[in-house]
Amino acid sequence: MALFKKNKKVVSTELEDFNFRKYTWAQFKKNKLALYSYRFLIVLVVLAIISPILSNDKPLYCKMEGKSYFPAFSFSDFYELKNEKISLEFYDWKHAELESVVWSMCAYSPGKSDALNIALSPGAQQVFKKSDGELIQMPSKFRHRLGTTRDGGDVLAGLIHGIKYSLLIGILSMLLATIIGVLLGSMAGYYGNTGLKLKRGMFWSLCIGIFLAWFYAFYVRSYSLVDAFETGGGTLFMSLLISMLLFVLIILVFYFIGKVISKLPYLKVIKPLRIDAMISRVIEINNSIPLFLVILAIAAIARPSFITLILLIGLSNWSGIARLTRGEFLRVSSLDYIQAARSLGLSNWRILFRHALPNAIGPALIAIAFGIAGAILTESSLSFIGVGVPPDTITWGKILSEAKESTSSWWLIVFPGAAIFLTVTMYNLIGEGLRDALDPKLKK
Amino acid sequence: MLTYIGKRILVFLPTLFVITLLGFIIAINAPGDPVEKMVSAASSSGEMGKQSISQQEQKLFWRKKLGLDLPVFYFSISSLASPDTLYRVYDKNENKALNRLVDRYGNWNEISNYYLACASFYNKVIAVSPDTAGLSEQQKNKLYDEIVQLKFEANALKSAFTPEAIDAKFTTIKQIIEKNSSLIKLQNGYINLKESYQNMISNASVWKNYIPAINFYGFKNQYHRWLFGDGEFSEGIVRFDFGISYVSKQPVGEIIKTKITWSLFFSLCSVFLAYIISIPIGVRSAQKRGGAFDRTSSLIIFMLYSLPSFFVAFLLMLLFANPNILSILPSSGVKPVEGYPEGASLLECARLSLPYIILPLICYTYSSFAFLSRTIRGSMLEVLEKDYIRTARAKGLSDNKVIWKHAFKNSLFPLITIFANIFPVAIGGSVILETIFTIPGMGLELYNAIAAQNYPIIIAVMTLTGILTLIGFLVSDILYVLVDPRVRLK
Repeated sequence: MALFKKNKKVVSTELEDFNFRKYTWAQFKKNKLALYSYRFLIVLVVLAIISPILSNDKPLYCKMEGKSYFPAFSFSDFYELKNEKISLEFYDWKHAELESVVWSMCAYSPGKSDALNIALSPGAQQVFKKSDGELIQMPSKFRHRLGTTRDGGDVLAGLIHGIKYSLLIGILSMLLATIIGVLLGSMAGYYGNTGLKLKRGMFWSLCIGIFLAWFYAFYVRSYSLVDAFETGGGTLFMSLLISMLLFVLIILVFYFIGKVISKLPYLKVIKPLRIDAMISRVIEINNSIPLFLVILAIAAIARPSFITLILLIGLSNWSGIARLTRGEFLRVSSLDYIQAARSLGLSNWRILFRHALPNAIGPALIAIAFGIAGAILTESSLSFIGVGVPPDTITWGKILSEAKESTSSWWLIVFPGAAIFLTVTMYNLIGEGLRDALDPKLKK
Repeated sequence: MLTYIGKRILVFLPTLFVITLLGFIIAINAPGDPVEKMVSAASSSGEMGKQSISQQEQKLFWRKKLGLDLPVFYFSISSLASPDTLYRVYDKNENKALNRLVDRYGNWNEISNYYLACASFYNKVIAVSPDTAGLSEQQKNKLYDEIVQLKFEANALKSAFTPEAIDAKFTTIKQIIEKNSSLIKLQNGYINLKESYQNMISNASVWKNYIPAINFYGFKNQYHRWLFGDGEFSEGIVRFDFGISYVSKQPVGEIIKTKITWSLFFSLCSVFLAYIISIPIGVRSAQKRGGAFDRTSSLIIFMLYSLPSFFVAFLLMLLFANPNILSILPSSGVKPVEGYPEGASLLECARLSLPYIILPLICYTYSSFAFLSRTIRGSMLEVLEKDYIRTARAKGLSDNKVIWKHAFKNSLFPLITIFANIFPVAIGGSVILETIFTIPGMGLELYNAIAAQNYPIIIAVMTLTGILTLIGFLVSDILYVLVDPRVRLK
């Protein structure tokens, strides 16, 4: 008995020891370049989060008339001083009489111009106007360390604040693409052409239901939705919520109608839904559309905004993920443990997301890493062309595009270009590392 | 073989439909009114009204010529309340206002009566010639000012839709008419208008908004016309008619024909160069997998792969076309500024253009070169593990013979796919590279079109690229079959 117990323990610890996630992570760590890239990504995320501290034209701390202030961290827009009201955003902090002050590493914010120092290289003579109007050499704490753009913006400030746009666009757009791709790919791979069976009555009832749900939830309510979009905030949320609820409710009603009418003789015939064929078609169509040009055309026509950009990139990049997920699900769904789960009577959704998905997600991860790199390239190309990005936000591609006017201003080329290159390479290396770590052929 | 090709073409049809539909949807959603762009508004000065009548006619002409008087698609889904003729109201604001009124009141008969009353009241206001006899200069000026305001209000009434806005406009109009005895002629029109408004409110039938309706319009619609032409003004994109450029007023097809030469030249040359360089590199690194050559070339190729093309272009210009460092190559254009000398032979032209071509060609080539090398290496690695390669080696064939005769042929597949991309790339051009190097091709044209909001060109390029991509896929599918009979059996 004792022996048996001991044995059992040994077996179970061995099994517990083999954790797929841990194993993959160990494999990933062996690839030094990928590991450094992963650490670099973490550094970038931290930089993006603390970017208002790193580069800000308001002091981090200052003392005025015996009182301490933290303008860079303040939530209010105004300070009351004596009888004066000063605006944090427009107050000239660099010329203010402050008893003591702590500036951030780069004492400029992106998008604000320094009219005295226009298109200066990092090494050039920079001037600073003292409060009495005298021009002196730039004090070292106010130097434009990486030069200035053609309208006097600080390049370093633009680079620091550009990190968050670059990261956000890459990650959010691929998040959208992942949701669509994994959902479609897993359905196609798991059900195949014969796996999803519906009674004829249910099928037609759901078709009519989806049409009517769209009609009542979105078409009839289109003007209240448009108005809500203009108001924004809570109204928009409530309006969207009502539409969604209406949509779900109508489909539910038709689901029950479908259940009832499926008892009739003609309508109770069970037919397989060729879901794999349908989704594969959609993937193929998506692949044969020149996506960059479509994004370019739509971005040129739509009002420039980050949300549009993220939607466009996300909606056009899901097919790779869907294809890979489909392939993995085809493989996984024929494995024994899925058969076992089926024979235990688990519901399809539970098998899909609880059992099959965790084992099939690996290849999709690789595609996501490469996809983020591609999304960042697309974004910087678009802002280089001057399309799609709101005019008041400074992105890396936008700084680079200023070099179009004079190609000898090397600081406008090298710094943002290197930033884009490093970020893209980082994601590509992570993708490569993941591919090696997840490849069973390389298992030792 | 033929049945296979036929099947592929059948499969491509839905994709073609999606691409044209996408192009069309983008086209009709482009901001601004194309008619306004075509009729250059020369009447910024002068009185509103009289002069605008000739402009009205001109606009109607352009509307017909651009096919904007037609319904948008073969069918439309709407509610029972909205009429199937609303697309005929062409002013975008008025159309929007009418849609809103339909949404609010649901009774199209009364709404159209109200709209017509608005329009006729506006026409009356425009035609009014007040009796100015016996008025002082100051009074006259005041009267004219008020008439201008009246015109403005009457015009704005047509695109107002909230009850508050409409009521406010009614009050202003009423005040102006009652204040000036010389405008008493308008009183009747105003009363009619007010009556039709009251009718619209009291006879509202909101329930009609909740019943879906599908309207069919047949082949006389904008999409069909855009595709196949109407035989009068438009030939349709099937006959290469993409409309007229807003800027140069030239047909878009003509512009594409003149601009495509350089783009085609660069894309052909770069693909050719990329093949020549990448095949030996890819094969060699696959042959000695993990060796020094493989590792260095893989690393370099990987770096090249992540370099954005505009960064490379600028770096090259910074190094080789910069008076401060090395000024050995020109930085923009494709030929000398003064043009080719008269009667120069083709060779002479090529010699003159060569320095201009080098930098862009490097940029065009490096990314496809990186991609090609990676693909060739991958497919070679796969093939080299096959049994028949081992057999060939076991037979005692030389290494070169095994690689080039047995393995390389079978790793050719990815190359075919890339070959199919040449023509679509030529149409779209490389927007970024052509802008940086000022190459007068399609990419630069597209860039200028985006800056000038010249939508016909953007949409033409997008649609054409899509269609050519499809044709490229079709060609590569056929090539696959020719190269490998196994494909047909699948």
